[in-house]
Amino acid sequence: MNTTQNILSVVWTSFLVAGVAEGIFFTLIDPQLLYFLGEPVHFSTIGTYSIGFFFFWFLCLASSMVTCFLIRTESLSNDNQSTA
Amino acid sequence: MAISPPPVVKPVVFAEQSLYEVHKKVYPRSVTGIYANARWLMVWFTQLLFYGLCWLPWHGRQAVLFDLVARKFYVFGFVFWPQDVIYLAVLLIISAYSLFLFTAVGGRLWCGYACPQTVYTEIFLWIERKIEGDRAARIKLDAAAMSSRKVLLRAAKYGAWALLALWTGFTFVGYFTPIKTLWSSVFSFSLGPWEMFWILFYGTFTYIFAGHLREQVCKYMCPYARFQGVMFDPDTLTITYDETRGEPRGAHKKGDDYKAEGKGDCVDCGICVQVCPTGIDIRKGLQYECIGCAACIDACDQVMEKMGTPKGLIRYSTEHAIASHWGWRAIIQHIIRPRVLLYAAVLWAIIFAFIWGIATKSTLRVDVIRDRAVLAREVDNGMIENIYRLHLMNVSEHTRQYQITVRGLPGIQIIGQTVLELPMEADRTLMVQVQVPPESGKKGAHEIHFDFKDVSGETPLVSEEAKFFLP
Repeated sequence: MNTTQNILSVVWTSFLVAGVAEGIFFTLIDPQLLYFLGEPVHFSTIGTYSIGFFFFWFLCLASSMVTCFLIRTESLSNDNQSTA
Repeated sequence: MAISPPPVVKPVVFAEQSLYEVHKKVYPRSVTGIYANARWLMVWFTQLLFYGLCWLPWHGRQAVLFDLVARKFYVFGFVFWPQDVIYLAVLLIISAYSLFLFTAVGGRLWCGYACPQTVYTEIFLWIERKIEGDRAARIKLDAAAMSSRKVLLRAAKYGAWALLALWTGFTFVGYFTPIKTLWSSVFSFSLGPWEMFWILFYGTFTYIFAGHLREQVCKYMCPYARFQGVMFDPDTLTITYDETRGEPRGAHKKGDDYKAEGKGDCVDCGICVQVCPTGIDIRKGLQYECIGCAACIDACDQVMEKMGTPKGLIRYSTEHAIASHWGWRAIIQHIIRPRVLLYAAVLWAIIFAFIWGIATKSTLRVDVIRDRAVLAREVDNGMIENIYRLHLMNVSEHTRQYQITVRGLPGIQIIGQTVLELPMEADRTLMVQVQVPPESGKKGAHEIHFDFKDVSGETPLVSEEAKFFLP
């Protein structure tokens, strides 16, 4: 499959889902109440939101990448037999 | 008997089979007409709203501000707290149902006229056209070897795009950080690192999406483009090429009776393809790439006018209408169908509930919790006492005084403080003792009500139920 399209669909879908996750998570939880490695978070609120967003994004990215990897067709996985 | 030649066997290649064809750059030709005007109207409307609303003041604060730091959303006179997330959810449901309704009636109206991707592409294309010229000039410039003129034009175009993109990013962040403070911190070079980051982030994506990716966003990235088909039915208005009228297509010679020659109305000028922002040929029928912008309708109508044939070879029509040669009256009659009525009914019900909810939203929030440590006790004067913890939250933008009373049992009364003053957007917890004479009820739990009255009369009365326990 086309590499650029693959990257786009992985990065973009995870971006969308991370946006939703960010919205839900921080609506329910006040960033000031969070603990980071046992210490109360001391970043600015915007900083916490931003870090949270990227955290969600990378998580979703990992999931999308695994999906992308697993849906590869047989012919792509069996590289040596791919020519008829 | 003739021997048929052996079938030609084409070599089959299984290596790297792409689901997508190689991307060809689309050079949309400029178009004028009623639908192009409608789109520009939407561009102006949405962008005046977006670039302008954040500068609007409202009683000493920004009218629309999603204050993430304070976790409060200000929308004109309303303040939304995290507890109000239900309104956001309802707003999303309204948006979704509106999309269903519009799509069922008129196809991809959202994509063609209101989607930010369309709107920004339109603005970026306008800049491109002003600097580099229309389609033919742009194709020529792209193909031309690097020259000082080309460098200059490119620098001007990319520079103008970058400025607009930065302004867009700045405006976006201005909805989350007070924009006037943001503006002054830009000039005193004291912009926070995250603000700076998000301005550049949003700006860069605007630049890439509207400047370079354009129709690829609709084709490869947009989920709506993929599932909008399920909202279509044969009575949905879509941009349709009237095949029976147009075919067989071909050039018309001046003075010839093309109909006598068996030709259709389509002169095969290809302008409908040239104006298409996604680079498709609408004459091949409805395709998922079609964003419903109607540029081909405007373009074809102009050609038809020049040729002296009636307009509307490409027009908004429905599958049924094309098949049965319906006129406008029949098309409109078929727009009202169970699916549309259902979407509309659900939509109106939710909108009504939303408005009702917002209008009756109290600016006083109360929680009554019975103190569980002490179930009930008899005090010195023989009265029975229960203790309650009242949590009051004034979510209005004014200081308010609340009078607290209790009812539900004969002789019931609050001992101690019954008036509480709360500054704007503040909350307080109050422990209250409630006493009743022992003969006022049977043994067990009794329903009582606390009433919270705003002394100024601005807030409607709030009542909260609680249980009073008699031993």
